[in-house]
Amino acid sequence: MKQWLLQVAALSELSVLELYRRKDLVVVFLLAIVILLPAAFLAPFGVSGASRYISELAMLLIWLFSIIIGLGVSARLFPPEFESRTIYPLLAKPVARGTVVFGKYLGALTASVSALLVFYLAYAVLVGVRQGEWFTPILFQAVLLHVGFLIIITALTLLGSLVMTPSAALTLSALTVVGMLVFGQRLPALAAAQTGARRWVLYAIHWFAPHVEFFDLRQRLVHAWPCVEWRVCLAVLVYAVCYAGLCLVLAGWAFRRKRL
Amino acid sequence: MDAVVIQDVSKRFGNTRAVNQLTLSVQPGEILGFLGTNGAGKTTTIKMLLGLIVPDGGSIRVLGGDPREASARSRIGFMPETAAYYPFLNLHELLFFYGGLCGMSRAAVRERADGLIERVGLGAAAGRLLKTYSKGMLQRAGIVQALLHDPELLILDEPLTGLDPLARIHFRDLILELREQGKTVFFSSHELTEAELICDRVAILKQGELVVCGAMHAIAGDGERNLERIFLNVLDTDTAKKGVLA
Repeated sequence: MKQWLLQVAALSELSVLELYRRKDLVVVFLLAIVILLPAAFLAPFGVSGASRYISELAMLLIWLFSIIIGLGVSARLFPPEFESRTIYPLLAKPVARGTVVFGKYLGALTASVSALLVFYLAYAVLVGVRQGEWFTPILFQAVLLHVGFLIIITALTLLGSLVMTPSAALTLSALTVVGMLVFGQRLPALAAAQTGARRWVLYAIHWFAPHVEFFDLRQRLVHAWPCVEWRVCLAVLVYAVCYAGLCLVLAGWAFRRKRL
Repeated sequence: MDAVVIQDVSKRFGNTRAVNQLTLSVQPGEILGFLGTNGAGKTTTIKMLLGLIVPDGGSIRVLGGDPREASARSRIGFMPETAAYYPFLNLHELLFFYGGLCGMSRAAVRERADGLIERVGLGAAAGRLLKTYSKGMLQRAGIVQALLHDPELLILDEPLTGLDPLARIHFRDLILELREQGKTVFFSSHELTEAELICDRVAILKQGELVVCGAMHAIAGDGERNLERIFLNVLDTDTAKKGVLA
């Protein structure tokens, strides 16, 4: 067990170091400034609701950037290992391929979550300064569920990067994530309105695609609505862990079958 | 018990026969030179020895175990042909990474690595990012990572590529020193002169088949020919056909 933990820690650390050394962190901070600047310089001019509008814009940017970082980091976990042939000395060490997949996934998740926390810290400071509300429970829930969102999309993209080209994995994951964020909630109604094969295709998407819309608390956060029930929050997080677990099992299987 | 036992091993990639019914063994404490032209099947054999690919037929035992199992690989050190490591790490971080994969704590890695880094002459460069290393320096970093967990069997795939003459001498001394310590070395190379100097036995592969295997003095026959001539002869090259070696 100790050896397994050391292996997972080494693999995760590698992914995080890669993010930091490739200057991705600088990009993260630049993005955080992009989020903060409109809020800092755009005064509401006494217009009612302008602060909320700015908050909504900031949240939209946070989601957009977190998707870019989450997908970008996880899509390039494995392809560079094959291209530069670093995979050979790695797999020659006494490490199971499943451990490699899990360790690298954990690294990508840690890197993505650390960037996300920077964004939310910037957002919290923005809201605190403008509206005097510091670290509300709904903000905590939003962060928690956003982490759940990243748990799913990093696993999904990692799986994609092992079964198709990196650009194809990135494109397909981005389409799935954005598509489900926009249409996910309406899928059952859309399916019910269709007939024949189209109905079953939509139902299949409903059952198999990741319901990332469950994790989106932007409206509640911006409009200061009450918190989601904690048991619902927990259930959604369990869904995220199960979905990611399934993706990782499939990724482990794909990695074992990959030709070296 | 032999350190490496390869029994009737074959491997195909599509229509290409990479290795064909290869049978070979390496004794403990021996340096075996694994020679052949490009595409002879050396790297494929090494990948099978490391459990990276599975043979289509035959069996491979490394230190008594199946190389696909992590327990067997924990006793193997591997230096790849292409010295490609993570350019965004420095040498210490690279060794912490590989040490972690071998289940070594940071303290254990530090204790073992310092001596090895000094031994290959990378002490002054150990804090620099690997992207600033020359090819020869990366090769030396490669030998350090291969020896980090003190393996019983060392598999070296073209280890002399990119090394200057001085580094080659140091490398040769290091390999001989490892033999003195009882390590087994499986040494794939194009460098016939170096192989001749350090190997106890050589095995020559041609189009995936073993054509010669034995101690230098045994395969030389008349005792006068050097390895280069033997190599050309057994590969039946144009040069040999023209009777130059006659």
